[in-house]
Amino acid sequence: MTQPPNAPKAVYRPLSPHLQVWRFHITMLTSILHRATGLALVVGAVLVAAWLVAIGLTASGCCPQAYTVFLSFAASPFGLFIWFGLSLAGFIHLTGGIRHLIWDMGLGFELKSANALSWWGLVLGIALTVGFWAVLLATGKVVL
Amino acid sequence: MVDSYLRERSSKDWKKSEKHGAAEWLAERWTSIALIVLTGWALWSAYGLMGQGYDAALAFLRLPLNAGLMALTFVITVWHTYMGLNANVLDYFPNSRLIKLVSFIFCLLLLIAALGGLFLAFKV
Repeated sequence: MTQPPNAPKAVYRPLSPHLQVWRFHITMLTSILHRATGLALVVGAVLVAAWLVAIGLTASGCCPQAYTVFLSFAASPFGLFIWFGLSLAGFIHLTGGIRHLIWDMGLGFELKSANALSWWGLVLGIALTVGFWAVLLATGKVVL
Repeated sequence: MVDSYLRERSSKDWKKSEKHGAAEWLAERWTSIALIVLTGWALWSAYGLMGQGYDAALAFLRLPLNAGLMALTFVITVWHTYMGLNANVLDYFPNSRLIKLVSFIFCLLLLIAALGGLFLAFKV
């Protein structure tokens, strides 16, 4: 016999990250943001794949207008809004990932350090995004 | 004290799957580290190509080193994405094989589309 006689068939397990029972704190916010930005970046992967497909279709002659169609979306105000959102998600996911790698080495688990790492990651992610777009605008790579 | 205790435990004891051992946990970490480098390269390249038009983009992808790095970036991105999506599925829909299957098919199609486009640009 491998199970006790009255063992329940399905055990209820609370689902991560236990939003119903946790008090709000910064590590919780950055953990949620890490997941949310990861999901948002799937859109980025789709757009980069679309860029490759557009170049491929144009180069092969199958659809010579494909690259123009892609660019007309990418350079439109809505496209720029999407790229901005993706860059924000990318930089926050990057700093969040580095924070997780630091934790994975067993470092920064003291409450103060964990909170500080979370705040620094969030602030750095936003600062990198602002800096990146400032360079794009200042060099004329992006024109509004 | 907390730090030293956890440092001893973390990489040895955490997140070992009954079926896969620590392999998936380690793969998440290695793909993360690889992507820091590869997406940095991709971002730098995108910056250089912005506003340069179709011919510059095509010439960029026809260089074997760039095509190879782009393919590698996509393979690792999709692998990392698949593991990330699965982590979400396991946490919120632990018994759904359908969502897991949809996530797998989506990642596969994404990879095929990206590598297909790259192949056409590089070869044709």
